[in-house]
Amino acid sequence: MPDSTDTPKTLHILNKAPDHSRFALCLAAQADGDTLLLIEDAVIALLDQQISLPMGTHALQADAQARGVGSTAEKHVDYAGFVALTEEHTRIINW
Amino acid sequence: MNTLIVIDRAPYGSWAGREGLDMAFSLAAFDQPVSLLLTGAGVHWAKRDQDATAIGQKTVAKNLSAAGLFGVESLQVDATSCERFGLTKEQLIAGCTLVESSQATLKQFDRVVFAN
Amino acid sequence: MNATPFPPRNNEGFLENPADWSPAVAQAIAQESDIELTEKHWEIIEFLRDFYKAHEVAPPSNRLFVKAVKETLGDARGDSIYLMTLFPGTPAKTACRIAGLPRPTNCL
Repeated sequence: MPDSTDTPKTLHILNKAPDHSRFALCLAAQADGDTLLLIEDAVIALLDQQISLPMGTHALQADAQARGVGSTAEKHVDYAGFVALTEEHTRIINW
Repeated sequence: MNTLIVIDRAPYGSWAGREGLDMAFSLAAFDQPVSLLLTGAGVHWAKRDQDATAIGQKTVAKNLSAAGLFGVESLQVDATSCERFGLTKEQLIAGCTLVESSQATLKQFDRVVFAN
Repeated sequence: MNATPFPPRNNEGFLENPADWSPAVAQAIAQESDIELTEKHWEIIEFLRDFYKAHEVAPPSNRLFVKAVKETLGDARGDSIYLMTLFPGTPAKTACRIAGLPRPTNCL
């Protein structure tokens, strides 16, 4: 169980559109040093004027491309990058 | 590795929770430590006195109550969500533990998976 | 016509409706697999009947069947060799078929 004084960084994998109730919960759960990866329906949040995403939010390239969400300032990752992220984090939440 | 499966959807209307339950049972089958958390509308899973016969489904609380026998380590239920739906501990099936904060519970596990 | 017609079953020999089960039906299904039902078999069959009544589901896999038996009847019974000796093949499937439960969902 993680020690509270040294909480491990969490990878948050989010696949819900911004209007899904879990989207806001996920954003609220972001802690310093955590990583947010948007996949599937969640990538449209990159275009959502009403949503402010944490700095350095990642999005899965294939899902962004499928939905015509062009490259923005955010970091796009391919599937290998997705796997690498899961390896770099000891804690993962699939929202 | 400790896994928490979260069910936050109401029962019967979709397969989301049942898939979560299947995942929990499968992990338990292979002796992987796994717990369940019911929160939001998902707390209705644990209600006693359900009977889904008339809608042609299996009663979810009865399915859920097999979790302990299969080795699922704990069945946690969000207290605030229970309050919202006027549910007391007595109205829940045996083996439930009420938790004050779902957010704090999420932090206690290496892997957290929300049932779609 | 047979005096006690066999209740409807699926292509794998599982009862379509668990409520159609009776000890005589169990005997007949067991015979098809050359299993002579003993006290030891009946103990497990009874466990499965109770389990289904309480949980409305068959133990989904063989591993979970063994676990649930262990949890309920103790280590000696909840042992895969013991259960395989009583119910050859895939014990969860064979035992559920005889006990009139639906087919375990994850048993390949």
